[in-house]
Amino acid sequence: MLVTGVSNPLGSEVARRLAPQVEQLFGCDVADPVAALEDMDFVHADTRLSVIGKLIRQLKVDTVVHLAVTVDSPSAHRAAHETNVIGTMNVLAGCAGPSSPVRRLVVKSSQAVYGASPSDPSFLGEDIVASERKASGNRRDLIEMEQLTQEFSLRTPRCDVATLRLGYRVSEGTTLGRYLSLPIVPTFAGFDPRLQLLHEDDAADAIVRAATSGPQGAFNVAADGIVLLSQAIAIMGGQALPVLPPYGRWMGRLGVRTLTGIDLPAHLADVLTFGSVADNTRFAAAFGWTPSVSTRGVMDALARGKASDILEAPSPPQEYELQVYLQRRRRAERNGHQGTTPLALKS
Amino acid sequence: MSTQSTTELKRRSRKAEVVSPKPAPRLDVSRRIRRLQRQAPMYAFQGLNDLSTRLRDATGREVIDMARVMELAQFAYRQRELARRGPDYAVDEFGFDAQWTESMLPLFKILYDDYWRVETTGIENVPADGRALLVANHAGVLPWDGTMIKTAIFAEHQHPRHVRALVASLFMGMPMLSWFLRRTGQTVGHPDDTRRLLERDELVLVFPEGVKGTGKEFKDRYRLRRFGRGGFVATAIRARAPIVPVSVIGSEEIYPMLANAEPIARAFGLPYFPLTPFWPWLGLLGLIPLPSKWRIQFHEPIHAEAHPVSAADDQNLVMTLSDQVRDTIQKGIYDNLRLRRGVFV
Repeated sequence: MLVTGVSNPLGSEVARRLAPQVEQLFGCDVADPVAALEDMDFVHADTRLSVIGKLIRQLKVDTVVHLAVTVDSPSAHRAAHETNVIGTMNVLAGCAGPSSPVRRLVVKSSQAVYGASPSDPSFLGEDIVASERKASGNRRDLIEMEQLTQEFSLRTPRCDVATLRLGYRVSEGTTLGRYLSLPIVPTFAGFDPRLQLLHEDDAADAIVRAATSGPQGAFNVAADGIVLLSQAIAIMGGQALPVLPPYGRWMGRLGVRTLTGIDLPAHLADVLTFGSVADNTRFAAAFGWTPSVSTRGVMDALARGKASDILEAPSPPQEYELQVYLQRRRRAERNGHQGTTPLALKS
Repeated sequence: MSTQSTTELKRRSRKAEVVSPKPAPRLDVSRRIRRLQRQAPMYAFQGLNDLSTRLRDATGREVIDMARVMELAQFAYRQRELARRGPDYAVDEFGFDAQWTESMLPLFKILYDDYWRVETTGIENVPADGRALLVANHAGVLPWDGTMIKTAIFAEHQHPRHVRALVASLFMGMPMLSWFLRRTGQTVGHPDDTRRLLERDELVLVFPEGVKGTGKEFKDRYRLRRFGRGGFVATAIRARAPIVPVSVIGSEEIYPMLANAEPIARAFGLPYFPLTPFWPWLGLLGLIPLPSKWRIQFHEPIHAEAHPVSAADDQNLVMTLSDQVRDTIQKGIYDNLRLRRGVFV
């Protein structure tokens, strides 16, 4: 099994959970993993280059979990496009072909593909075809990526493809999380949208479940329940300030950037106006699993995190090198070598 | 080490004195003002009560209705209470806040009883529990008819129920209005939402005429528009819900739309831009609806749930039922117009 994009927090969490379940786990990313993992072989490989296909073939990977998809990156548009569209294209090309050993492919996508508009139904089903006409930026890339995935799925019947549209997450560092944590939150005047949030643990759990078995198709991964934006801000102890103009989304985004320094992506600005709630029944029916934390629970957890202000310590700098060394040693022993001679300590 | 530094160290190691800020001497005046503030509502009530009795003695009739004043005061207190409840209140998954909606009811009761003097008949045709699809005609530039139907059922029905109306996405995209609509239980007019609400055994209100109904010109005010493609019938059959046709008259006259300024509408991306005798000439004052006399009639239910679910795909049956609903409502409009003595009385 190969996990792409293991160096982001979600990727490393997925890898950590998958490691005991699979025979051999490979992970690849352009950056070093944030946390070392003993049971995973890490490869420095860029999904934007065709080397990824070679990797899949050489390692005889039967399952690919493609998590090298950036959703929450307002700046560096070009880079996000390269990663999402070109990167996915390369991964799909690597999985294609008659000699390919890949039997299952899980692609991470986002609820952001739906965008948000007043004419949407209150619960977004998987079959709502996103109109690409008005999509821009990150959302357009995601739609294109999903189209490529779907085409691949149709062309390659022996490979099961599951696309997971993960709900919006508010863990530290995401744009939405930072926005809601502001002491004074500028909001769009005259709107109080419904928000639906997904816990990081649930996101990782859903990916692990989809990676090991299950049907193919597109699935929403979304928590139960909603919170209103005003409720979310009040839970965080902030104060909503409805100063952003209700029309002209770009003005609102500019306002948020000048007032708070947060660069809202276009789809997120729409979500903060009209709200976005996905229907999670299909995933529940297909995999028999629903997220354990409700939207309200996610919000409460974020508020608790803000109150206690715990920062998760990154692994110490040499931890990764140490793990790699130990892994190499173990493998050498398995292959019958004596390994390095133990140091003889002089007494 | 110099002596100066040792004294310095000594000074620093001394026990820190606890210095608490002295309580500021409270001004007697501020306390009095506060007391006055607390008691002001009471004084105001007493004064108003005196005034009302004196006026009643002088003129021989009720000039200030104290019951109504008390009602408004209660409304104000309730609003303040609700504003203090913080983030811990429940909204359903559509964003409906029942507590808040009920607190707004006194305002709509005033519109219902005093402003439009709504006369409601056939309220017993609305089921006391279980799902039902209310289908009504739509007129008047803004969807006030929906609020009056909701008020009628909550205020006059034996089992007060909240009606969940389906609203055109146009209104859902408007600031303030969309916020208010969602809060009070409305949702977007999408077949998927209708199905979900009916499956939760709610009373759902639809206006099949849609924005074509609200955008009717004054000369066509009593004529029903096309009822879409009968989608509401198919949804009712699938969800096994009876259809209750509702005729509303009076909403046609609240904003007499003399003409539709299409170029302006197109420029703003609206389906119509009304020109009434008052809008847009008087600015925001032009948004005040006229006090026409309203009548609402709930008709006998049409039992769409009696048909098998597969009948929803039978376009012939769907269109027949749709026409039946439309004819019932149209006939109800003409009947009620005959019963109404005048537009404003």
